[in-house]
Parts: sequence; C-alpha cells; structure tokens
Amino acid sequence: MRSVAVLALAAAYLLGCTAGAWADCKLRGGEHVVLYGSADDPSVLAWDSAERLREYNAASFDEARALALHAIDLSPGTRAQVVSCRPDFVQSQTADVVGDAVGVLILTGSYRGLTRWVLSTDIRDVDRAKKQHH
Amino acid sequence: MKTTSPLARVTETLLLTAFLVLVLAIAVQGAFQTRAQIADTFNRQSAIGQAQIMLEELLRLQIVEEDSLRGYVLTKDPFYVDQYHAAVLDFDDKLATIRATIAAQQVPVVQSALAQYASYQDGWRRHIASQVLQRPDALVSDLDKRSKVYSDYETRAATLVRSELADRNRALAASTQEQIDESAYVRAFFLLLFGLLAILFNAYRSRAYRELEEEKYTTQILQRAFRSEVVPLPNCRVGGAYLSASSHLAVGGDVFDVYRLSNRLALLIIADVSGKGVDAAVLTAFIKFTIRGIALRRRDPNAILAEFNTAFSQTVENPYLFVSMFVGILDTDTYVLRYASAGHDSAFVRRSTGVQQLAVTGPVLGVMEEPFGDRMLNLEPGDTLVLATDGLTEARRDSGEQLREQGAMRLIAAAAVEPQALCDELVAQVRAIGGNHLRDDLAILAIQIAPSEASHA
Repeated sequence: MRSVAVLALAAAYLLGCTAGAWADCKLRGGEHVVLYGSADDPSVLAWDSAERLREYNAASFDEARALALHAIDLSPGTRAQVVSCRPDFVQSQTADVVGDAVGVLILTGSYRGLTRWVLSTDIRDVDRAKKQHH
Repeated sequence: MKTTSPLARVTETLLLTAFLVLVLAIAVQGAFQTRAQIADTFNRQSAIGQAQIMLEELLRLQIVEEDSLRGYVLTKDPFYVDQYHAAVLDFDDKLATIRATIAAQQVPVVQSALAQYASYQDGWRRHIASQVLQRPDALVSDLDKRSKVYSDYETRAATLVRSELADRNRALAASTQEQIDESAYVRAFFLLLFGLLAILFNAYRSRAYRELEEEKYTTQILQRAFRSEVVPLPNCRVGGAYLSASSHLAVGGDVFDVYRLSNRLALLIIADVSGKGVDAAVLTAFIKFTIRGIALRRRDPNAILAEFNTAFSQTVENPYLFVSMFVGILDTDTYVLRYASAGHDSAFVRRSTGVQQLAVTGPVLGVMEEPFGDRMLNLEPGDTLVLATDGLTEARRDSGEQLREQGAMRLIAAAAVEPQALCDELVAQVRAIGGNHLRDDLAILAIQIAPSEASHA
C-alpha cells in the first residue's frame, strides 16, 4: 500500500501537475475513479502522454492506428486514482466535445501501477457516486 | 335617387358571386396544397425517424459482431462463428436499407458519415475479424486493442450520423409545425375574407332587395294611375274587366274610364292603343286624364275626340302609334247617351230585342286631322251598354278563326244580366277561346240602366 502511495506522489510530480491546472478540472487530485467508456464501447484507451491522447482524438483513422501503439486498452471497470489534469485539453474531431486530459494511476488489472492519460469522459467518479448514493 | 339598372344589378351579383366562389376555391385549393406539403414533410420526418431507429439497430449488430468474435476467441466454440456471420449479414442488410433511406432524403453529410462508418466496419472485418477467424490462437487482449481504434472511429462516425439525423428530425418537426401554423393563419385569413365578402354580399343583396321593394311600391302607385276604373253611377249598374296580354303586368294598352262630370252626366271612355306593355300603358294614362280634362270643358263627344286628336298628334312623336276610342256622355237622368267613336267598332248595346253594334263616327286617332261625327242613343231601363276592345272581337281560336263582331254579339246576348257578371263571363269566354292564352289586351266596360229605377220623371 505504501508503495502505491509513493508511486502516486511520484506520478503527480512527473506529470507536472499545477494548482492552476486543477482549478478548471472536474476531478481533483487523489480522487478514486473507475474507467468506463460508452455503453457501446466500454473499454478505455490509456496513453503514455497527454499530447498523444489529444492527437489520437484529432487524427485521421490511419494516423490513429499508428498512434495506438502508444496506448493500452484497459478493461471497463478498471480502477484508478487521479494524479494530474489538463482542463479542456482534448478536442474530439467529429463530436463537438471538449474534454480534460486526466493523468491516472492504474490501481487494478494487469496494468496496475502504471500512470497513463485518459479522456475525462471515460472516467466515472467513484467517490462522488458513493457520496450521492449515501 | 340613384337607381341601379336590373342588368347592372345582375352583373354585380354575378361578379360578387364569382368572387366569393373564387375565394372559396382558392381557400379549398390552399388547404389541399398545405395538406400535401404537411404530409410530405411528415413522411420525410417519418423516414428520418426510421433511419434513426435503424442506426441504433446497426450499432447493436456491430456490437454483436464484435462480441461474437470475442466469444469465439475465448471459447473456440463454432457457435460464435455462425453468430458472427449471421450478424454480418444482418448488418449489411440493415446498412443497405438505411443508406437507401438516407439517399432518398438527400442528406449528404449523413451519407458521407455513414459511408465512413461502413468503411471502418469493413476494415475491421478484413484486418481484425478475418485474421482472428483464421488464427484461433489469437489473444483477447490483442483483439481488443486492435479493435479499439476501429471501434472508436465507428463510434465517432455513428455519433455524427446520429447527431445529423437528430438535427434533421428537429428541423422537419419545426417545418411541420411552421406549415401547420401557416396553414392556420392562411385559413383564418381566407375565412375572414370569405366572411367579410359574405357580409358585403348580404348587404348588397339587402340593398338590392330594398330597391326592388321600392320599385315594386312605385309600380303599384303608377299602376293605380294607369288602371281602368269604374265608379257607381246613379240609376245604373256598372261592371268592368281588364286583362293584360303581358301576364306579369297589371297594365296594358287598353283603357276604360267612367268619370262623373256632374250629378247627371257621366263620361264613358274605352280606348285601345296600338301596341302592348308598359309603353302602351303610359299612353293610356295620358288618354284617361287628358280626356277627363277636355270633357270637363266640352260636353260634345266629337269635339272631345277632335281636341284630343290634336293634342295626341302634337304630344306623341311616334307616327306609328294610333288609338281607337269610344267616348260617350251619359245622362243618368234621361238615359240619353251621346257618343263618338274614333274607329272603335267594339261598342254594343244589349236591349230586350237583341244586341246592336254602335256605329263608328270617325277615323282612329293619331292618323289624320278629320272631323268626328257623333250619335245620340236613347237607352231604356234594362238596356246594357257593352264597350270592349279588340281583345274581344279578335279573340282567336287555335285554328286561327276570329270571334269578330258577330261572335262577340252572340256572347253578349247570352251573357248574364248583371254587368259585372257579364264582363266576367266574356273574359272567361275569351280565355276559353284562346286556350287560356291572350294574344291582345282586353278591356270590357258594361253599364246597365237599372231596371228597378226605370221610372224617371
């Protein structure tokens, strides 16, 4: 458990999170989340950099296939912890959706312990859901 | 007072009616046109709605394809291969249908996005699915990751299609609503216009009806002036009958008049103006009142006719108009009748011995300036003076045979004693002869010296 906390702090440092950047994000550093895409396509691509995440969402299909080498496919329901955020960093090419690039520490599954970037629309906030449930 | 001629009134009525019908036709045609437009928009909206439903079904089939492949990789059960192929067929069938629907609606953006979506799915089948089916040892993780990009891009394309279809649907719904609103406004406008026109039309009709009533009233007043009248005379019984050849008119070219010049003397007139109808009737009024005026000054029938002849020639400019006239002045105390006849041969006296025709004493009026003679006739109690127009003597059977003077005298001889009954009988006989059809105006005046009062001093 201690190793996970150390990894989280290190990841936060490495991802260059700033206080100003958090201000416009819906998520807060340290929040526990669940990764889940859409009902049609629930798995989530997690990227090794926020820039690639952004490029993927703006790329052509062939470019996207090439970029996909830098992504891992996370099963829906993978748990993670928010460690970083870049508000309104990703602009979808087709849908007029602006999303945050969120740095997460993967807590479950075969990629446990890795830090990656995911789109904020692929994140479900577990803590907030629990509070609303109670 | 400004009056409208009947022709103008009919024309105005026809024009107004035509305009009303036109407005009504435009309103009805507009309603049908609007209905067709709304139906077309509604059909297009319905097609778009169908496309939306089919799109969701297409996405479901896409997932079925992917899930079938995943199931095969995990279990190696051929069931999933069959399921996959069935889903592929369903997907292609559904895709063709939705593409045809969208093409019919001419939505290029959706067509393009749908083509993109189809190409992604085709790419997934060729590069992922077919390879996995040929190499059953593929890992699920490998499959999922490779599928992910296709899936993402299909989702993007499908999102675009979904969004465009929704926009289109909303636009068509708004258009339908707009057309319904517009239709309501247009209908309200035409309803208002039609209502206003109907009110105007009704007002116009009321005005026309009022004018007609006024004209009718005026006509009645004038007819009273033109109508032949009888008044009671001392020691006499008087009867009269009048029939116009124009069945809708109460006046014609014949006239008789009984007018008391004094306590003893009575003026008796019967005249026949050439021609029929209202024009002739106007002349009869002229005759009636002019003769009365002359007779008040002059008591000689021949002098009355002579003076009238001069006045008539100077007043009436139509050289083809002439008048036959019998003028008599009856002394109701002595029963002496002085008369003059300007070409008027339908004058008879019925005595106990038979019917006698009274002689013509001069030419018809309005032809030449010649002196008129006069005659004196002593009547006895019970004698009846019967004055008629040529409507009696020229009454004609269908065979063309005329009644003539002899026939008239036979009818008079056989008729009732009482003067009014005599007149009515003669009218009935003339009607019967002509088959209930009058060829000429008919006037009859009958004056009987009262038998009960025959003893005079």
